[in-house]
Amino acid sequence: MLATGVVGAVEDPWIRWSWISGHVDVITAALLQHIQLTLIAVVLGLVVAVPLGLVAWRSRVFRGPIFTLTGILYTIPSLALFAFLLPFTGLTTLTAEIGLVSYTLLILVRNIVVGLNSVPDDVREAARGMGFRPLAELARVDIPLAIPAIMAGVRIATVTTIGLVTVTALIGEGGLGSLIYTGLLRDFHTPLVVGTVLSVALAVVADLSLSGLQRLVTPWARSRAVA
Amino acid sequence: MNFIGQVVQWFLEPAHWQGDGGIPHRTLEHLAMSGISVLVAALIALPIGITIGHLGKGGNLAINISNIGRAVPSFALLVLAAQFFGIAAASQVVGFGAVPAFVALVALAIPPMVTNSYIGMREVDADVREAARGMGMRARAVLLRVELPIALPLIMAGVRTSAVNVVATATLAAVVAWGGLGRFIVDGLGLQDYPMLFAGAVMVAVLSLIVEFSLAGVQRLATPAGLRPSKSIQKEESSGAALDTAAVAA
Amino acid sequence: MRLKRITVLGASMVALSLVITSCGSTGGPSSSAKATIRIASFNFSESIILAHIYGGALKNKGYTITYRDGLGNREIVEPSLENGLIDLYAGYAATDLNFIDKRQGTALEAGTDAAANVAKINSRLSSKGVKALDPSPAVDQNAFAVTKAEADQNHLAKLSDLTPSVASGWTLGGPPECPQRPFCAPGLESTYGLKFKAFKSLDTGGPLTFAALKQGAINIGLVFSSDGGITANNFVVLEDDKHLQQADNIVPLIRTDVLNSEITTLLNSIDAKLNTPDLTALNKSADVDKQDPTDLAATWVKDHGF
Repeated sequence: MLATGVVGAVEDPWIRWSWISGHVDVITAALLQHIQLTLIAVVLGLVVAVPLGLVAWRSRVFRGPIFTLTGILYTIPSLALFAFLLPFTGLTTLTAEIGLVSYTLLILVRNIVVGLNSVPDDVREAARGMGFRPLAELARVDIPLAIPAIMAGVRIATVTTIGLVTVTALIGEGGLGSLIYTGLLRDFHTPLVVGTVLSVALAVVADLSLSGLQRLVTPWARSRAVA
Repeated sequence: MNFIGQVVQWFLEPAHWQGDGGIPHRTLEHLAMSGISVLVAALIALPIGITIGHLGKGGNLAINISNIGRAVPSFALLVLAAQFFGIAAASQVVGFGAVPAFVALVALAIPPMVTNSYIGMREVDADVREAARGMGMRARAVLLRVELPIALPLIMAGVRTSAVNVVATATLAAVVAWGGLGRFIVDGLGLQDYPMLFAGAVMVAVLSLIVEFSLAGVQRLATPAGLRPSKSIQKEESSGAALDTAAVAA
Repeated sequence: MRLKRITVLGASMVALSLVITSCGSTGGPSSSAKATIRIASFNFSESIILAHIYGGALKNKGYTITYRDGLGNREIVEPSLENGLIDLYAGYAATDLNFIDKRQGTALEAGTDAAANVAKINSRLSSKGVKALDPSPAVDQNAFAVTKAEADQNHLAKLSDLTPSVASGWTLGGPPECPQRPFCAPGLESTYGLKFKAFKSLDTGGPLTFAALKQGAINIGLVFSSDGGITANNFVVLEDDKHLQQADNIVPLIRTDVLNSEITTLLNSIDAKLNTPDLTALNKSADVDKQDPTDLAATWVKDHGF
C-alpha cells in the first residue's frame, strides 16, 4: 500500500533511515523517559499495593471495597483518568504518575492476595508451631511463598504500564509516545514506526527479564502457567 | 463558583445536549463504534480461538502472537491506522476518522478474545470430553453441547475485556479526528476548558463502568450453574485468570 | 536467606529507579554567567522553527537555552509566559493582542498596523513583566482554504464570493479554539455574514485539517498563510478581501526579567531579516519534505550570520 499518510498527497516512506541515524539522541531520550516513567509507576504501585493487598487478604470487610475501588480505577480509560487529574495537578509528571500508578493497583493487589492465599495452611501451621510471631511469619513465610504470584503481577503491571505511558504524550510527557505523537502531528511515518517498534520491544524485554528475575528469586517454584 | 460547580454547570447547559456535538449524539457514536468493532472482532477472533482450542494445536503460536499484539500501545495502533488508511469517512453517515478508528479497535479487540477462548476450550477436562464421547456424542455434539458451554465463561471474559478496552480506546480515537465522548476530553485539553474536559472524563468513566458491569453480569449468566465460582478469593482468581491474558484498558 | 534475597531485590529495584531518574535530569553545565532562557513554541512546525532560530542565535551569544517545543496552543503558551513558566515565544501581533484583550476582559483592539498592535500588547502586559519586541515583516495569518474542485464549482476566489446561503450548508474545520477566536468563526460571521452548518474540531492547520479538506469531511478549513503544503495539496486560499485578518506579524514576546539590551538587539535584528517567502519555504521543507524544524532553524541562523 502506498505510504501516503493521513493526508494522502505526498509520499513518505515508512522508515527514513536518515532520520533515525540523525535523531539517535532524541530517540534515546524518549526511551529513557519511557523507562523512567514505567519504573516509577510500578515501584510506587507496589508500595501502595502491598499494604492494600495485606489488608484485603486479612480483612473480609475491606476486601470487597479494595477490589471494587482498584477495579474502577482500572476500568476508567487512561485519558479520562488523566483528565480527572489535570484541573488539580496540572500538565505535570505527577499527573502522569498518579494515573499510571492507579492502573497497576488492581493487578498488583489481586496478585498479592492470590499469592498470599496460595500459601498452604499446613505450612503456616508449621511456622506457628515453630514459634513464629505473626509478623515474622508474614515476612519469612507468607510473603516469600507469595512471590511467584506477586512477580507475575509485576510482570503484567509493567507491560501494561509500558503501553499506557504512550498516552501521556497528550499531557506533555510521553516517553516513546512523544515519537508517536510527533508522527501524528507532522503526518510523518518514521517517528511513529520507531516509537511503536521500541514500545513493543521494550515490553517484550521487560516481560522476559522479569520472568527471568522471577525464576531467580524463587528457585523452589516454577512460574505459574497462567501468567 | 468552585470547580465541581462549574462541571455541574456544564452538564446543565442545554446547548451541550443538542446537535452532532452534543452529549447524546457523542454517546451513541461511541457506543455504536465500540459495539460494532467488538462484534466484528468477535466474528474473527472467536472462531479462531475456539477452533485451535478444540483441536489443541497452534495454541502457543496464537498466544504468542496475541501477547505481541497486546504489547502494541493502542495510541500507536490508532495513529498507524490513520496513516495507513488515511483519515477517511466510510460514508457521510459514519463520519470522518471512522475508518482508522474502526480498524484499530477491531485489531485491539482480537487478541484477548483469541487467547481467552483458546484457554477456555483447553481447560475443558479431558475426562469430561472422554465421558461425552463415551456417551456416544459425535465430535460436533461434543463441541457444541459440552466444550462450548464449559468454555463459555472464559470466552465471555475475553469478550468483556475486549469490550472495555475498545470503549477506552475509542476515547483516544478523538485524537485522530474521530468523534465519540473522547471529543470532549481532547477539545477540553485544546481549549484549556477544564470543566468540559472533566465532564468528558466523567461520561467516559461512567460509560466504561456500565459496560464492564453489564458484561460481568452477562458473563455470570453465561456460566453454567454448576461452574459458578463461590463468593471467595477464588472468584477473583477465575476472573483474574482472564485478566492475566488480557490487554489493558488504554 | 529468602528474606535477604527479597531485601536485595527490593533495594536494587529502588536503586535502579533512582539511577534512571537521575539519568533523565541532566542539566547542561552552565559555564556562562548568562541567563537561562526557556523558549516555548506552539504545536506547529513554523513555531518550532522560529523558537529554534531565536534560541540558536541566543545560544551563539552564550545563553543557555531550554526548549518546550510544541507546548500547545495559545491557551497554554501565553499564560505560561505570564506565569513565568517560560521566558520567550514567537507570537503573532494581532492574534496575541486579541487573545490578551479577551483574557483581560477589554475590547478587542487588533488592527492592520503591526507596530500599533505591538504597542498595545506592551501596554497590556507591562504590569505582567512581559515585553513584545519589534515585529517582523514576516507574516503568518489565518487563511481559509477550499479544494480546487470546490473553488471551481462555486466560482470562488475571494471570501466575499462565498454567499451566506452556500455557507449555511457547509462545514468549517479548524483547531478547537476556532469558534472562539475573532479571526476565525466569529469573524467570518461578523465580517462576511457566513454562518456555517457545522464546525469540526481538527488541528492547527495541520494534517488532520488537510485530510478533512481532501476527503470532503469539511468544505472549508482554517490553514495558515505561510503553510508550505497548500499548493502541494491543490488547495485554494480564498482571499481575505474584507480584511478580517489583521496584521499578524511575527513578534517575540519575552519576560522582562531575562531581557537585556543585547537580547533586544539580537532578536530585533533577527525579526528584521525574517520574511514571508523564506518562512513559507522553511515550512514546506518541514511539513512536506519532513525535514527537522530544528535543523532548518540551525541552517537559517548560520546562513544569516547569527
